Amino acid sequence: MKGVDNPEFHELLKSRFGIEDFPKDAPPFVPASRHRALTGLLASEHGYTLYDFLVASHWPAVVSKKEDDPGDPEHYEVTTGLRIPARGSKLAVWRVRVEIDGTMPSIVDLFAGADWQEREQFDLVGVRFSRHPDMRRIMLPEDWDGHPLRRDYAIDTPHPPWR
Amino acid sequence: MDAIASAIRVGIDPHLDLDEYDPAADLMVLNFGPQHPSTHGVLRLKLYLDGETIVKADTFMGYLHRGKEKLAEKLTYAQITPIVDKIDYVAPMTTEQGVNMAYEALLGIEVPRRALYLRTILAELQRIASHLLWVATMSIDLGGALGGGTTVFMHCFRERESILDLFEELTGCRFHYNTHCIGGNRHDITAGWPKKVKATLDVIDSRTAEYESLTTGHRVFRERMVGVGVLPGDLALELGITGPNLRASGVDYDLRRDAPFHIYDELDVQVQTEKAGDCFARTLVRIREMRESIRIVREIIDSVPEGPINGAKPVKSPTQFKAKGGQAYACLEGPRGEVGTYVIGGGDNRGASPYRVKFRSPSMHALSALPYILPGHSISDCVAVLGSLDPILGEVDR
Repeated sequence: MKGVDNPEFHELLKSRFGIEDFPKDAPPFVPASRHRALTGLLASEHGYTLYDFLVASHWPAVVSKKEDDPGDPEHYEVTTGLRIPARGSKLAVWRVRVEIDGTMPSIVDLFAGADWQEREQFDLVGVRFSRHPDMRRIMLPEDWDGHPLRRDYAIDTPHPPWR
Repeated sequence: MDAIASAIRVGIDPHLDLDEYDPAADLMVLNFGPQHPSTHGVLRLKLYLDGETIVKADTFMGYLHRGKEKLAEKLTYAQITPIVDKIDYVAPMTTEQGVNMAYEALLGIEVPRRALYLRTILAELQRIASHLLWVATMSIDLGGALGGGTTVFMHCFRERESILDLFEELTGCRFHYNTHCIGGNRHDITAGWPKKVKATLDVIDSRTAEYESLTTGHRVFRERMVGVGVLPGDLALELGITGPNLRASGVDYDLRRDAPFHIYDELDVQVQTEKAGDCFARTLVRIREMRESIRIVREIIDSVPEGPINGAKPVKSPTQFKAKGGQAYACLEGPRGEVGTYVIGGGDNRGASPYRVKFRSPSMHALSALPYILPGHSISDCVAVLGSLDPILGEVDR
């Protein structure tokens, strides 16, 4: 992806996780079932001990007009970044595709910092994390309707005043 | 690496089940904030107290949530800078730089060397101003211990004011500068500005010893800070804490040296670390970083190369910059740590707006340490611990 260059991480994904597809301008996809294994491996054996960021994005369904193209159903993409906190610091970034009714494996037991970050992405984007110990809204009031950072949430959606 | 393991090391369970706590104890709940001058904004802490000792600290935020990430999806790439100024209102220069660096990476725009020099100078001056404000508010947080604390507060504000004057001369604004844009800067160095910068730095440099004698050299200040709010290095890493808070916990890591941006690869940045990880160590690191920033600005202020300050075409229309897709991440070392921006291209306005923007906020990561380090402290240490983490609530809530 742009702004991040880490060929060693891509080598690791290729050799240990059998991932072949490396888009030029976006992070590689990792299956949700391998997400926790990858996080644990990076942290314990490769020095990626700094929990850097978590970004979820919402992708509405794409309907294709061509008959042989099935299009793309509605889904989330969850991007994780881990960093080596030392000289010559490297950043490892990968994406996980989560279906709209699916869940993303939580890594709170591996990285304590994931607690609030996962709550924030759930609150604003709506992606659900499985096995999170304390999943509730963090930015918006408990009774807020909807998840504002979804693409189908209009910016002028009316809402009740803060209580 | 295990969160529970590190919590046990610290002796704290952030998700403590109060039903399992000593049934004979008479627990009291104290709401601290959201409208309390010592919360540095609108943070709310729900403190469970056993006598005067904090047993559990629940953190509530979002009172200042303005939906910057949603706004960023609607605005075009060229329109974002004045909006992000208000995210970290104590260090708007670095926030502006962070966002524009990510957009430049996404759009593939080169920044000319003169602009990189200017950005470095502005980032370092902003670091000094931000740390000055921290020393000021920290002393007022400790309040009575320092004879009211207003002496240090006033002194530091006086010096910070002189840096704001420099910014005002350069950009026309004292707070929300709007001076960075895609491809470089908007305002070039004016005649005589470098001379004024040097004069201001001389004054601040000569007075740093004064702040030290009033804070780290002050017996009561040390009594309140030494050994209070100890944050272990491995827990800090796990929580994603960066910047002075991490360096005070003994982790020798600074983006300026370890993943250089701007022109830092040509500079020899001396990373300031401390081992103790307590409030006092965080003070020492910040005051030393001010000295280091003064040194860096002095080193480069006279060698700014000639040339353009913007590598992109002048903005004629807000929809000028377009990206069909792609994702980019860029980060820099701000006064509070890693200021990062993750951007996905290909949004509204036929690609002139980003699809999704995420602002990585170092303050939010710093605050996430509170449930781990507050329990066990007395209620009077709460303000010292909270203040020493230097959270800016505008950046936490975005």
